Amino acid sequence: MKYDVCIVGSGAGGSPIAYELSNAGFNVVVLEKGKNYTESDFSKDELAVSRREKFTPLLKDEKHIIYDREKDGSVKRYDGAEYSWSFWNGSMVGGSSNLMSGYFHRMKPDDFRLLSTYGKIEGANVVDWAISYEELEPYYEKVERVVGVSGVVAKHKFSEPRSTPRFPFPALEVNVVTEWFDASCKELGFESIQTPRAVLPKSALGRNGCSYSNFCGSYACATGAKGSARAALLQKCSAKIITEAFVYRLESDSSKITKVHYYDKDLNSQTIEAKIFVLSAQAIESSRLLLNSKSKFFPKGMANSSGEVGKNLIFSAGGSGQGRFEFENLSQKQQEGLMQPGLFFNRSLQDWYDYEEDDKCYKGGTIDFLFEHANVISRATREFYNEDGEIIWGEELKQKIHKTLSTSRVLTFEVFNDWLPTDECFVSIEEQSKDKFGVSVGAINLSGHPQDLEVGRYLAKKAVKVLEEMGAKDVSMSISASPPPNLVAGGCRFGDDAKKSVLDRNCKAHDLENLYVTDASFMPTGGSVPYTWTIYANSFRVADIIKKSLIS
Amino acid sequence: MSSNSRRTFLKASFLSTVVVVMGAYDIFDKIKPSPSLNLVQKDLFPFAQELNVNMPQYMSIILAHSRISETDKEFILNGVKWLNEEAVAMYEKLYTKLTSNERQSVLKNIVQESWGESWISTLLTYTMEAIFSDKIYGVNPQEKAHKWLAFDMGLPRPTKALL
Repeated sequence: MKYDVCIVGSGAGGSPIAYELSNAGFNVVVLEKGKNYTESDFSKDELAVSRREKFTPLLKDEKHIIYDREKDGSVKRYDGAEYSWSFWNGSMVGGSSNLMSGYFHRMKPDDFRLLSTYGKIEGANVVDWAISYEELEPYYEKVERVVGVSGVVAKHKFSEPRSTPRFPFPALEVNVVTEWFDASCKELGFESIQTPRAVLPKSALGRNGCSYSNFCGSYACATGAKGSARAALLQKCSAKIITEAFVYRLESDSSKITKVHYYDKDLNSQTIEAKIFVLSAQAIESSRLLLNSKSKFFPKGMANSSGEVGKNLIFSAGGSGQGRFEFENLSQKQQEGLMQPGLFFNRSLQDWYDYEEDDKCYKGGTIDFLFEHANVISRATREFYNEDGEIIWGEELKQKIHKTLSTSRVLTFEVFNDWLPTDECFVSIEEQSKDKFGVSVGAINLSGHPQDLEVGRYLAKKAVKVLEEMGAKDVSMSISASPPPNLVAGGCRFGDDAKKSVLDRNCKAHDLENLYVTDASFMPTGGSVPYTWTIYANSFRVADIIKKSLIS
Repeated sequence: MSSNSRRTFLKASFLSTVVVVMGAYDIFDKIKPSPSLNLVQKDLFPFAQELNVNMPQYMSIILAHSRISETDKEFILNGVKWLNEEAVAMYEKLYTKLTSNERQSVLKNIVQESWGESWISTLLTYTMEAIFSDKIYGVNPQEKAHKWLAFDMGLPRPTKALL
């Protein structure tokens, strides 16, 4: 059987294509490496989900090799299995969108023209996007309606233009501590923004509303309120989903992909033929699959005549910080409000989406504020050391855990700024290292640009000011070049120049007539926000392009 | 072999391993790991007993767990060996033969070594997992630690343990 469309990967990059094209009457098949789960499978079991990482592959079976470039230029090799260094996210139908927090910010118009607006940066491969914000805006709006985005649109210094005045779903309920936050921001002259969320506050779109379970980020949603690709799209379309299907090679002639080869759950090799193929296996794995698909037509790897596949891998730069609110400084009423479980925090700052320092204009970013994750085991293990840095046990540990966890609560922040693309950060293939399928694993070559850290620190200091103004204790921040594995993009950047990019402006491979890549791989720069909304929006945009192509 | 019998096999293989404890010049003794492991966990966090948490059973689960690496399991057993060798070096006795004060002295000594600090942290981490585990795992029937911290467990609760 020959399908109209075959999609590799069922996350935020692939699902809008499956949803749009199957609902338009096309015959669509989705190949997903992970298993299928339903909402009844999604308990809040910290042991299974967070400690034993139920939704990601075992590193002994599937790993990456990581080459980390130090400040002095030396490179250290890490075997992901030996060092427990995982770049896997959600390996399941719907992918990592099941586990996202759903902090949804649109990219700003200047994010699409980073080079034009901010100029060249030495050592960084900054370019403008092949499309503008205006071209993507209708699809951001579509995501709001179809996937479901809740919140309040508030005008602020860096508000992006919108085609609609408000979000289609009202804001989630928030903790009373947001009032302290808002007041502190006002005192400091900062503009507090209510964070839009891909979470439905009430039942809508055929899904249940949020249950305020207190376990949202990192956990799959048991009500369907979270706008995962599974809940919002795949369960509302007729696309055929083949689970536990690991695609290991794309086969082509000189101009078209002809079939994909995959291993089924019994490790038997199977093939699928289709008119159009869409790759959305998440950035690192999409590059890996292309590079592993060498042939006489594409000796450097599929769609890689430019040599650009795998290049300019980016993550979200930044880091995090926190401050603690202790009972001894609060009234009884404030204590009760602080400890109210389940209610969200949902506050962000974007005052410094760009800023000037030393007569130079920098692209800044976003700061999201949220309560420390409710995971109680993780929080207890953070109490193992005393103030002198010595490990403690017995009664001393018991008392410390009780005091910290029952008479205080931590407010954290996360900084999102651009991870500048460089020549040293890319995906390659580690030929001699094989996974359980016998396929060469991906090598992740890591390097951060110094400006990433400077901008991250600038933003984090602003967040620290807010926490201090709020009266938080033990305020700290940590900005590092560590790549967040769940915020990865690039490797197949799109552009109009076929010699310098892998994909054209439609996210179709320059080299092939029927191969599209629609996960975050296409992004030449990442903006200073979490990626998921942009991935969804772009995938809906490409779905329209593919639809036209199939109809014609 | 069914998955259950495979688990039983692994569990048996780890906990039936004989640990060779070296003295200064020769083999001091050959021991089963469980008595030392159970005792050191009582010494590290005796409150777990007050919470009616079955730590030996939880460690059996960990040592047979499909998602705990063999390296991590071996580290737990190697720690038992090294703990006893420290006890022998200090008191010429196995850890299980020492008084409570002597055992605390051994723990204070091993924590000065990087392996010792890491091992104690590992055992404490598994203790936290056990005391805050859902009762579906079978080691924490009363879930007293949650009440101790007035912590509301997330809903929905698991209906099946991940082993």
